[in-house]
Amino acid sequence: MGMITNLMAQQTIWRLPEESRALFATLIVAGAFVLILGLIPVLQTLPPRGRRAIIVTVTFLAGLFFAAEFFLPVDWTAIFPKDDPKRNFLTPAIQPAQNVLQIIGALALGLGTFGLVRLHLRNAVQKRPQWGYSIVLLVSFVVMATLSILNTLAEKEIVERGPVLERAFSILFDYTLVQLDAAMFSLIAFYIFSAAYRAFRIRSVEASILMFTAMLVMIGVVPLGAQISPALPTIANWVLAQLNAPAQRAIEFGVGIGGLAMAIRLWLSLERGVT
Amino acid sequence: MLSVDRRWLYLILFVNIVIFLLAPLRMPASISPPVQKFYDEIEKLQPGDLVMISSNWSASTLAENQPQLEAVITHLMRKQARFTIISIEAQSRDISYRLAERITKEKGYQYGEQWAHFGFVPNLAVAIKGMVTDLPNTIKQDVRGIEVTKLPVVQGVKSLSDYKMIIDVTPSGTVPVWISYSPKNVKILYCPTSVMAAEAYTYLDSGQIKGMITGAKGAQEYEQLLGIKGLGAPFANTISFSHLLIIFFILLGNFAMLMNRLQARREA
Repeated sequence: MGMITNLMAQQTIWRLPEESRALFATLIVAGAFVLILGLIPVLQTLPPRGRRAIIVTVTFLAGLFFAAEFFLPVDWTAIFPKDDPKRNFLTPAIQPAQNVLQIIGALALGLGTFGLVRLHLRNAVQKRPQWGYSIVLLVSFVVMATLSILNTLAEKEIVERGPVLERAFSILFDYTLVQLDAAMFSLIAFYIFSAAYRAFRIRSVEASILMFTAMLVMIGVVPLGAQISPALPTIANWVLAQLNAPAQRAIEFGVGIGGLAMAIRLWLSLERGVT
Repeated sequence: MLSVDRRWLYLILFVNIVIFLLAPLRMPASISPPVQKFYDEIEKLQPGDLVMISSNWSASTLAENQPQLEAVITHLMRKQARFTIISIEAQSRDISYRLAERITKEKGYQYGEQWAHFGFVPNLAVAIKGMVTDLPNTIKQDVRGIEVTKLPVVQGVKSLSDYKMIIDVTPSGTVPVWISYSPKNVKILYCPTSVMAAEAYTYLDSGQIKGMITGAKGAQEYEQLLGIKGLGAPFANTISFSHLLIIFFILLGNFAMLMNRLQARREA
């Protein structure tokens, strides 16, 4: 207990000594690898209740760590006099925790990519309906990924950025991907236009107020509004700041309370589908 | 009139957008209070002050976020402020880096000395908490693979509290995360898309956001304040006439509905 208190006081409990950091890191990575490889078959033999218990415990402990780090008093010096008054004893562990989360995120990305490629490869090999699109996806995926990796390596000056790479990446990224993405999103404008014409109807007093206010703000916030009347932008800003803001605040309070309730349910594994 | 083929509506909007995008018509904007506050906050910066730009937009919202980012970087360079960019959106890493590289090269701003790009960082909340505790260990390397500790632009920077300001250029609801986890001494400025701006008025009201540039029309106002010609003005003009067209068609739709009802009553 005394040793742990001492380590906490010196803020070293989460930090490895500088000179042996590489060795420790290698051992930890190798150990984790062996542990995971050994754990997977063990976990698969567990009954559903056993799996659930593990998931619930890990979820609870992970949530507890972040909650405790956030809510524990910052000034810890009354208990540990040598401690840094700007943080509690869990704060130094935030950095390793962030690394763990980033690794999990990267694993999820890899898993998603693997699933996508496997599905479309199967479509193409078995010549399922519309398998041609799968071929397009796979070719685009391989070409874009290759050029992106090469471009990133060139940015880091690991490979040379030749004119071919520069031109090829520019054609694919700037002149294809960016334009297609922008075009896809722009289509929303046309749907909004069509929907506004067909569905925005004055059927009640409330609908009339809503429509009138919407029109006032729509025309008041754009440059044309100021040309029509200098009062229009002022009215639009007043609506946004004085009517919209309190309503948004009320909504956000509701969303916040709902989010808190949902977070507690997830933390305590009360949500369905945990296993 | 109500059963008009929607493709005609699409065509009308398309023609309207093309005409007003290409027409040399430029209307001056009236400067809204949030944009004026944004401008005033950057004007208060001293040469060498450090600013974090969080660029989280992809090509889908390019029309709104690109003019915002261009105007903001131009203003920061004019004030001789140092700035770093971070992206929590994978595509934004490349878009914002290429954009910033182009603008800074034009003005002779030195990479590494006066600005840097920290690249893509997943999970914003965790990243901010990490940067608040230990920025160099959270970011580790910039996009060029240079260790953060070796970048002169952030020399001596230990945490996010060493920054003067955070500017969030985003189409997503990321600003509450910045507000929740950022150090209280760092000011937050916000560049949302138009559709996200309404939610941010509560934070403007409370002072948690010091200023806001709303979409393309906010960018136009900012360009006007800076006295530069950018993408904001043509985009905002096009939006002006598109709004007018939508209002006209909403009224037309209601008029058609009224006529239908009257006709139905007469027939009854």
